[in-house]
Amino acid sequence: MQRVVISGHGAVSALGIGANTLWSALREGRGGIRPLDHPEAANLRVLIAAQVPHFDPAAHFDDKRRPLLDRFSQFALVAAREAIAESGLDFASNDLGARTAVIIGSAVGGELTRDEQSRRLYADKSPRVHPLSIPRTMINAPASHISMEHGLTGPSFAVASACASSNHAIAQAVQTIRCGLADVAIAGGTEACFSLANLRAGEAMRVLADDTCRPFSHHRRGLVLAEGAAMFVLESFEHARQRGATILAEVAGVGMSSDAGDIVAPSDVGAASCMRRALLDAGLNGEDVDYVNAHGTGTTANDATETRAIRAVFGAHADRLAVSSTKSMHGHALGASGALELVAVIGALREGVVAPTANYTEADPACDLDVVPNTARSMPVRAALSNSFAFGGLNSTVALRRAP
Amino acid sequence: MSSSVQQQIFAIIADQAKLDVASIQPASTLKDLGVASLDAIEIIFDIEEKFDVTLSDSDADLKSDTVHGLITAVQRELDAKGTPALAG
Repeated sequence: MQRVVISGHGAVSALGIGANTLWSALREGRGGIRPLDHPEAANLRVLIAAQVPHFDPAAHFDDKRRPLLDRFSQFALVAAREAIAESGLDFASNDLGARTAVIIGSAVGGELTRDEQSRRLYADKSPRVHPLSIPRTMINAPASHISMEHGLTGPSFAVASACASSNHAIAQAVQTIRCGLADVAIAGGTEACFSLANLRAGEAMRVLADDTCRPFSHHRRGLVLAEGAAMFVLESFEHARQRGATILAEVAGVGMSSDAGDIVAPSDVGAASCMRRALLDAGLNGEDVDYVNAHGTGTTANDATETRAIRAVFGAHADRLAVSSTKSMHGHALGASGALELVAVIGALREGVVAPTANYTEADPACDLDVVPNTARSMPVRAALSNSFAFGGLNSTVALRRAP
Repeated sequence: MSSSVQQQIFAIIADQAKLDVASIQPASTLKDLGVASLDAIEIIFDIEEKFDVTLSDSDADLKSDTVHGLITAVQRELDAKGTPALAG
């Protein structure tokens, strides 16, 4: 079976454009949570958000292309360009494009386009919507546009599992390379979810914090909604080795599980099962893992449940793990979250620095792990897990090792 | 036929298709003008928005119909509404 490595990464986040822009901020404990920037902000109970600052589509896409691209496709394309450039791959040579897959996660798809067309229909009473509404809205649009821009004609599709979409996409890309369906895969997640409808839906679920995102803190008040994208170039180790690629990390294994329980309440059993499967798939023992990038949303339910799950999986070793939630800084970008978090895991493996859980105040006995509060920690990281647990009880964990 | 309708439709086509207005003739089809199908539906949309009319699918046959046909269809819809052509 092929080993799978990462040879490029790119990101667009509340910290700006660039994977290294994101990683630099995370290792400094610097967040991108700010007052909500939205035309309806004055009427909303949502006060804060982690939005991509000063994103100018015209700086990235010409006049002909922009009408085709919802913001979630724009983020995906910008992140993919960065990842592909870093990988140094030339898809035009040796027909590599035909052996390259594109697998992109998103939770809500072209939400801003959908919301704008709804406004036209219901508020403006317009008899027509924009003719590019369907190609802009469809959840596979980012996968399609990445494949078109780079001439990638292998298996390409979208993956949707709400907040676990990115990790499921990475998992699918790993399997695709392992079984020989492709040598290379562009995989990750993207989200642009700041529509009025989605903001109101977040309010209605009462899961959004009004102060900041403080995962694992006693006084945590919920999640902070975010947008962005992160994309990765995955390739077989053999392919990367033969071309002398710089390898950022190895995706050692993936785990997936379904709670088959509640549609929104998290399950420690499902989460633990997911992590165990990732360890098994990676051939790792719990003791081999030094860092867990937690799902860590900052909701009361998730953080306590995830703590129990980590303890169940790692036993006594749980107290030797560094566990952090970088959502405290880049926010919860739904289907892009796992991908943004993978940037933090790659940074940890490469530099031996674990990004902190920012905004941490008081300990919660229900979250009694070492959550690396507020300040990054230098420590050797041999292997790490990255957790994503979705509404709907769909879980995915990616296990990574340092570059071979 | 209002020349204003024609001028406005020419301007919309020129803008969407990135063409010089002078290159557009009433007898041209959008296909002749090198307008791809996706651009063509945007042109139809912009025309509908500009004049607040809805063109039937048969009036928006982009391969065979001429720009003149589009102008005629828009004028017919405007007449049916009793709306004078927009000044600009």
